[in-house]
Amino acid sequence: MKHTSIGLGILLVALMTGFTLAPPSEYDEARGIITLPETESPFIAFNIWVKVGSQNDPAGKEGLASVTAAMISDGSTTEDSYEAILEKLYPMAAGYGYKVDKEMTTFTGRIHRDNLEDYYTLFSHALLRPAFTQEDFDRIKSQRMNYLERGRRYGRDEELTKELLYSMAYAGTPYEHPEEGYVESVASITLDDVKAFYRNTYLRNNVVVGVGGGYPGGFPDRVREDFDALPEGEVPMVAAPRPPMPQGVKVLLVEKAIDATPISMGFPTDLLRSDDDYWAMLTFNSWMGEHRNSFSNLYQVIRETRGMNYGDYSYIEAFPLGYTTQQPPVNVARRSHLFEMWIRPISNTTPTNLHERVLFATRAAFRELHQVVENGLSADEVERTKNFLDNYTVNWGNTIGRRLAYAVDDAFYGMSDPGYLAEIRPGIRAVTPGDVNEAIDEHLQDDQLYIVMITRDADGMKSLLLSDAPTNISYAGPQPDEVLAEDREIASFPIPVNAADITIIDISEVYQGG
Amino acid sequence: MRTLAGVLVLGLLVAGCGDMATRSPGSSDEGIFPFETRHVTLENGFNAYLIRAGAPGVIAYTSMVRTGARDEVEEGRTGYAHFFEHMMFRGTEKYPDYDEVTSGIGAARNAFTSLDMTVYYLVAASEYLEQIMDLESDRFQNLAYSEADFRTEAGAILGEYQQGAMTPGAVLDRNLRLTAYDTHTYRHSTIGFEEDVRNMPEGYEYSLSFFDRFYRPENVVLVIAGDFEFDEAESLIQEYYGDWEAGYVPPEIRYDEEQTEPREVHIDYPGRTLPVISVNYKGPAWSPTDRMAVATEVLGAVAFGSNSDIYRELVIQEGRVQYLGAGFGLQRDPALLTIQTMANSEGDIEPLQERIQATVDRFQTELVDAETLANTKSNMKYGFLMGLETAQNVAFSLVPFIINTGGIEAVDQYYETLDAVTAEDVREAARTYLTEARRVTAVMTQEAN
Repeated sequence: MKHTSIGLGILLVALMTGFTLAPPSEYDEARGIITLPETESPFIAFNIWVKVGSQNDPAGKEGLASVTAAMISDGSTTEDSYEAILEKLYPMAAGYGYKVDKEMTTFTGRIHRDNLEDYYTLFSHALLRPAFTQEDFDRIKSQRMNYLERGRRYGRDEELTKELLYSMAYAGTPYEHPEEGYVESVASITLDDVKAFYRNTYLRNNVVVGVGGGYPGGFPDRVREDFDALPEGEVPMVAAPRPPMPQGVKVLLVEKAIDATPISMGFPTDLLRSDDDYWAMLTFNSWMGEHRNSFSNLYQVIRETRGMNYGDYSYIEAFPLGYTTQQPPVNVARRSHLFEMWIRPISNTTPTNLHERVLFATRAAFRELHQVVENGLSADEVERTKNFLDNYTVNWGNTIGRRLAYAVDDAFYGMSDPGYLAEIRPGIRAVTPGDVNEAIDEHLQDDQLYIVMITRDADGMKSLLLSDAPTNISYAGPQPDEVLAEDREIASFPIPVNAADITIIDISEVYQGG
Repeated sequence: MRTLAGVLVLGLLVAGCGDMATRSPGSSDEGIFPFETRHVTLENGFNAYLIRAGAPGVIAYTSMVRTGARDEVEEGRTGYAHFFEHMMFRGTEKYPDYDEVTSGIGAARNAFTSLDMTVYYLVAASEYLEQIMDLESDRFQNLAYSEADFRTEAGAILGEYQQGAMTPGAVLDRNLRLTAYDTHTYRHSTIGFEEDVRNMPEGYEYSLSFFDRFYRPENVVLVIAGDFEFDEAESLIQEYYGDWEAGYVPPEIRYDEEQTEPREVHIDYPGRTLPVISVNYKGPAWSPTDRMAVATEVLGAVAFGSNSDIYRELVIQEGRVQYLGAGFGLQRDPALLTIQTMANSEGDIEPLQERIQATVDRFQTELVDAETLANTKSNMKYGFLMGLETAQNVAFSLVPFIINTGGIEAVDQYYETLDAVTAEDVREAARTYLTEARRVTAVMTQEAN
């Protein structure tokens, strides 16, 4: 074990020369290997893609894929106890982690070239020789139960609304349950369940190894050969979800004693990034609500002009944990996505005006959707958005870990040649205003929608939703006449919802059971 | 083992725009920061660091203001450093729509505020260097916003406050600060007190004075990291920042009297949580040269980090707690050293406090073994180097050094000091700072239904 030496020279050279001469990633589907050589880089990144996700959780054991991955990532191996692993990783300032999504599980890590051998030994053993000890299981299950019973319900409400939106939209499909599972389902998971899930799904043909960065010659082949030690077998294919469109507007209200209410709304689409009109929809969505960007439309209407909250965005692909990042997530590749609008918490400004303000913001977003469905985008709006994206998207693949993760997603979507990052610029440059408006016609509508809110006095919110009363808001300062005129339209903009389509649950019931 | 055969040389050049120092790779020096850099100083006190790093064709343009929540000394004005960060995106006479310019060049841009700093950044194609410098230097000198815009933006701040205000971590932090600090501005968090946030629409005039006092060339350091020409950038800095009028007015921070006896607070959390135990000690200020200060950061890692005996025992072997963490990162002014854990039951609160105290006692008497100390130093160095992957990361890696000292020279100083830290230093840090008189304990449990 090297303790104190730091390979400054290698780091220096790599960062001085950059990576532009690096060849693109290659996906050998037959062997299950993705390589992304960047020979001058001092870092080596790993991304081990297991073709199993929460959709593979057995009924009643929702959360099993995630608990299994946690046992691998945060547990002992047959070679080292978990504490010994931490001790060995410590001087390298390194670690590895996992992500379980609906359809995929990925294990990722990054290491300085100095420490590759020691690190790879630990990382590969974690995946290939997990010990699955009772002690690790008890620890991880305890942590998971605490998250499900308390952390999720008393953490970020704005993230919880997003999760609940997906559960509404995918009810009855393998996408319905959250990756972490339900309180009751995880409580029922046993160590034997974990061992069986690993045995049945972590199979040679079901695992793709991704290696990127400045690895030595032949290294990816060696990794692949190591993973070929996994047993043969097949994981039954899960049919892609075909979520139905909601019949009208369906609302879920979660009762919780808070002074600010986040809102998530959306509906299923059949758009995938491998589709021809994806780039047109990406352009539309960037105009409508590019994540964490102030120039886009929802942000301008709700936050910039009216100062109602911190941000307002839209999505055409799943975007979990949006509050933690500015960049699009990686390794959440799915065969079905929603169109989604995320209104971050709307606060009360007096003790009694929370619901009026929340409904006003909801109407504002709904009205923006209505207008774009009716009118589409102008040529100027499309052109400005294309100009923005042309440079902005360069940042999406800024690290070797992200570039490799995109390459894994490319393999999922069958678009490895040349791959998403390489296709963004030409894809967007080729988009015309006509393409954008055709895509809007194809994928968007404004009369079938799921809405989720977490709020105090949910019954009061329900009553307000069902009433025709305008929800006027006031400001701390003067506003231009045109804003006030628009406010009057927003305040009365109809959201057609029936009492029978509004469901109320208490925060203590959220994700309790399936 | 790989080491750099020849590393860095410090060269001093003089040019019309002020003093600048260039150091480049390929000569002999032992610095940890592995990039060619140039230091540009203007007569008005403005400092800029140019760094060649990251991928071709990209720059990270980072303006670091040495002002944060720490500077909010006036009653009722907590949260203004952060609020002001928002207002900086509201435009100038020359560029009334900041977003239109940045979106036009596809820049990823944002900012963040913390106790000691406000940092603004853009990541964009190198070809836009002059356009960005024009834009950024303009708003730092000529920001102009109406009271109506100010009042509107105050609503966004309230929304941001509410995003995580009632999470267990936020509730604990608010109460802990009120218990630990008497007069120092670390008494409030960066976002500010809720009452002050709700009153922000009335603070327009105050906000103007905030800009006038703190957004001055002596208090702002520019770091440009990426792929660009140093000479060109230096000329542009002179052109765009040279006329910025000096006039920084340091805040009159009221430092606390030295704490002489332990403090405790119990918090009832209005929701569901397992018990949280937070044991804190009044620590030293950050310093790149004070061995006691650096040894204190080492102490946090060896005594309570993920490789410590107590972590192995409580988290892994016994499963008595959900987590255990140490926050011994120092601030510009003396702040809290934090040991925090979440118990699985309320009955274990006192035994866990005793277990934490036993660890403190041990590190006040025993010497950390040589291998653990070496591994910890390695961890801290690799932790720094592993973060140097992109131009933006490189610029961000310098933030604590610049905010605390005003320059990047402290990078090498800090790691030289780290190298010199001994086991005796670590023990002395424990004896000096982890004392009963300096302790502040917060225990948070679920409010009875």
